[in-house]
Amino acid sequence: MASTANKGSRAPGRTALSGKTKQTIATPDGGRVGLAITELSHLGKINLRGGDDILPAVKKHTGCSNLPENNRTVQIGERTLIWLAPDEFLVLCEAGEEAGLHSQLMLDLGKVHAAVTNVTDALCALSLRGQALRKVLAKGCALDLHPSVFTAGMCAQTILSHAAVTLVAVSDDQFTLICRTSFAAYVHDWLMDAGLEYGVSFKG
Amino acid sequence: MLLITCPHCGPREESEFSCGGEAHIARPLAENNLTDAEFADYLFLRDNPKGMFLERWRHAAGCRRWFNMARDTVTHEIVEIYPMGNTPKSKAGKAAHADSWRRDTAAEAAAKPASKSRSKQGG
Repeated sequence: MASTANKGSRAPGRTALSGKTKQTIATPDGGRVGLAITELSHLGKINLRGGDDILPAVKKHTGCSNLPENNRTVQIGERTLIWLAPDEFLVLCEAGEEAGLHSQLMLDLGKVHAAVTNVTDALCALSLRGQALRKVLAKGCALDLHPSVFTAGMCAQTILSHAAVTLVAVSDDQFTLICRTSFAAYVHDWLMDAGLEYGVSFKG
Repeated sequence: MLLITCPHCGPREESEFSCGGEAHIARPLAENNLTDAEFADYLFLRDNPKGMFLERWRHAAGCRRWFNMARDTVTHEIVEIYPMGNTPKSKAGKAAHADSWRRDTAAEAAAKPASKSRSKQGG
């Protein structure tokens, strides 16, 4: 594992999309950028499985007082708890903190029936912002993404143009998209293409 | 395309799911007492009805959890979605469960842990 708990000594390292060109393709009329894609490089991700008895340990390290309900997220500061399934959650934490958080959760869960897995490098997180965000995603996703339905704080695991993704609505015009590292290049290329008509930019 | 209501995630399109085929096929516990033909009922034979069918489905691209579904294979109407380990509660689902040829097989009788199931098999 490349990451360590010590943020200061952490080597920058490659990411799933570090080979992709940073570019901005604005619309010809008016030069708008409807979708801005940013890779959340090295964002810590920990898969957590367990029943209600994992709450004390989760509360200690994320600050959330309740586990998220179905299709919901709980965000406290830099840490986000994403509901994935009954008894399964994804914890997002600061880049470089994941190994430390992983071992702390393991310690605090003790004999609780639970599984903690560091999936930081298995998944790639993208931040998507912009007015055209939901229109672009709707091209490849059957989920109802209307702002009145898929509201801020909701999440969904679904399929975006054949690729399995987790969508997290941070706000009306900002999503976090999490996909497998091996699908990241494809998802990036698809988003750049689908967003072309609205203007699109990618910053590594 | 079906719109399937996942018991955990809510309504999602069919392509997110995978179908696991016929539901309520219990594994015989005392398989050594069954003939090969009787064991084949459990292992190989699957129902393919025109009408109400009880199936297992998995929300493969979502929460990855299994559930049961009572679906009409003619109209594609989804009559009921119910948890694994349960039997259907709707009238049509109950009827489909009770009427299945599988209920009368020696393999299913041998899947019940009660001692009477052993005496039923006869030989």
